[in-house]
Amino acid sequence: MAARTVAKDIITLRGSAAIVSEFFGYAANSILYNRGVYPEESFAKVKKYGLPMLLTQDEGVKSFIADLTAQLSQWLEAGKLQRIVLVIMSKATGEVLERWNFSIETDSEVVEKGVSREKSDKEIMREIQAIMRQIASSITYLPCLDETCVFDVLAYTDKDVAVPFTWVESDPKLIANPQMVKLHSFDTKIHKVDTLVSYKNDEWEEQ
Amino acid sequence: MMADDEIERLDPETEYLMSKRRAGNEWEMFKENVRPLKRGRNVNLLNTALNAHNHNRLKKSLLDNRRRLIEAIDEYKGDDPLLPWLECIKWVQESFPPGGDCSGLVVIYEQCVRTFWHSERYKDDLRYLKVWLEYADNCVDADVIYGFLDANGIGRTHSTFYISYALYMESKNKIKAANEIFDLGISRNAQPMAKLKDAYRKFLARSMRRPKVTEQDSTEKQLPVRSFGTVLANGENRVRSSLSELSTKNLKPEKTGEAAFTIYKDSTATDDDCPQQPDVSKRELHSLHPLGPRAERNKENNAIPGKWTAYQIPQQPGIRTVGASASACIPVFVDEDCDDRREVKTGGCKSSSLVNRREADQDMKRETELLRKKPLRNFPQNSLPR
Repeated sequence: MAARTVAKDIITLRGSAAIVSEFFGYAANSILYNRGVYPEESFAKVKKYGLPMLLTQDEGVKSFIADLTAQLSQWLEAGKLQRIVLVIMSKATGEVLERWNFSIETDSEVVEKGVSREKSDKEIMREIQAIMRQIASSITYLPCLDETCVFDVLAYTDKDVAVPFTWVESDPKLIANPQMVKLHSFDTKIHKVDTLVSYKNDEWEEQ
Repeated sequence: MMADDEIERLDPETEYLMSKRRAGNEWEMFKENVRPLKRGRNVNLLNTALNAHNHNRLKKSLLDNRRRLIEAIDEYKGDDPLLPWLECIKWVQESFPPGGDCSGLVVIYEQCVRTFWHSERYKDDLRYLKVWLEYADNCVDADVIYGFLDANGIGRTHSTFYISYALYMESKNKIKAANEIFDLGISRNAQPMAKLKDAYRKFLARSMRRPKVTEQDSTEKQLPVRSFGTVLANGENRVRSSLSELSTKNLKPEKTGEAAFTIYKDSTATDDDCPQQPDVSKRELHSLHPLGPRAERNKENNAIPGKWTAYQIPQQPGIRTVGASASACIPVFVDEDCDDRREVKTGGCKSSSLVNRREADQDMKRETELLRKKPLRNFPQNSLPR
């Protein structure tokens, strides 16, 4: 009995990469839904992390995110992903309105020596749940996006990573003088993910 | 996309993550008490404000601060007299996250727009227009405001004006009028045009999806008047007697303002439930055949819900029990901090007309209520469009 409990709490690099990339998929869906980037009707409810989560049913977006998470988990397993940013831009002007920044710290010992760490799924899930809750309530301070928006995903990887052919080099798409809010973090003991959202400072003169 | 050469340079986000600066979690704890703002909020201010509203002492300083900002409007000597107003409005929005009457925001909006409405200088000022639009958002009868802005040429160069106006009309189901406003904005080359056209496209897409009936503004008036009573059982009769007294105070007075609310009853139900009334069920059966247009059939699903504030249940003296018969008046409980607040305000006000106006919360609430219903009530009669 005791042996089984212990076995369950072991986390490997591979498992951790799967958790983090899956987290990013759900987080991206949740952001796209909550920020109204795609119409409400194009999402369907599922249960995940002990919360009702929404997943896009739009085939284009769905396959974009599926490809993305597959690529991310590859990089995460190699310990080469430093940051992933979901950028929301105005479709008309291309101006960057919001950035959801997920910064990743990888335990290099795990990558180099292939050792594993200990942390229960339950605990990780609780941490992720807190982040998802915060994403959903971010409407309290984020400006309303009242124009058609598009999104893009930036990956910050180690320099020795070859650019996959569906990806292109990009400028960092930063927001000048942004407002920033740090959300909760989660830690698989192998990958630690910090979440931050930055958005445009509000101005009366703003069109 | 890839941005793999940007790691070394510290962008503000990385710097922020690395620093140990952390904002509090009040924004999440009290999220139900925060009204989303179009322009977004500064989280630190939001946290402070939410904290303050939970502590009486801090709350007092919040009210003091508001008074100071209002005084600053009168004392302002610079060359942009709108500026202290904007600062005051912004501060109040951030510091009273739930909005509501207590913030005094509606009164401040009104005084601000009234101060400058005839000023040539601010006619095309986007900041000034935004105060107007935010005021309109807070009023029941925004029609008057948009008409006033249009007649006085305030904000006519900005696409925001046309977008807000048209969306408001759309929300009132005046689709044709909304369409005309979009057209007007485009013909006047309002800026930024891209934003206006984007909003127009979305509006058109919504119009396509909308069922036909709602496209005619007058549909509601054409609906046949319903008669009640034929199928109601005896016990339900009391509903009838009070129907005429009803008027709903609703955010959308156009729809519900005048009409008494109506209760629909499935006529098929009587078929099964009341077999002892064959004549009634027979009549119902016959009247079932012409089902009427879709709108008619679905109306209980389409009706806009409203508050039943004006609804009074008629008292039935016979039912009263002995215990309740004593006509002792119920003491109104006043919150301790509400009492304090009044003292602070009456003690502090001197110069500003605005402060004098709001000697007591009661006054402000009443004024807010009045303004919501009649946003231009303090404007000179001859300034209003006819």
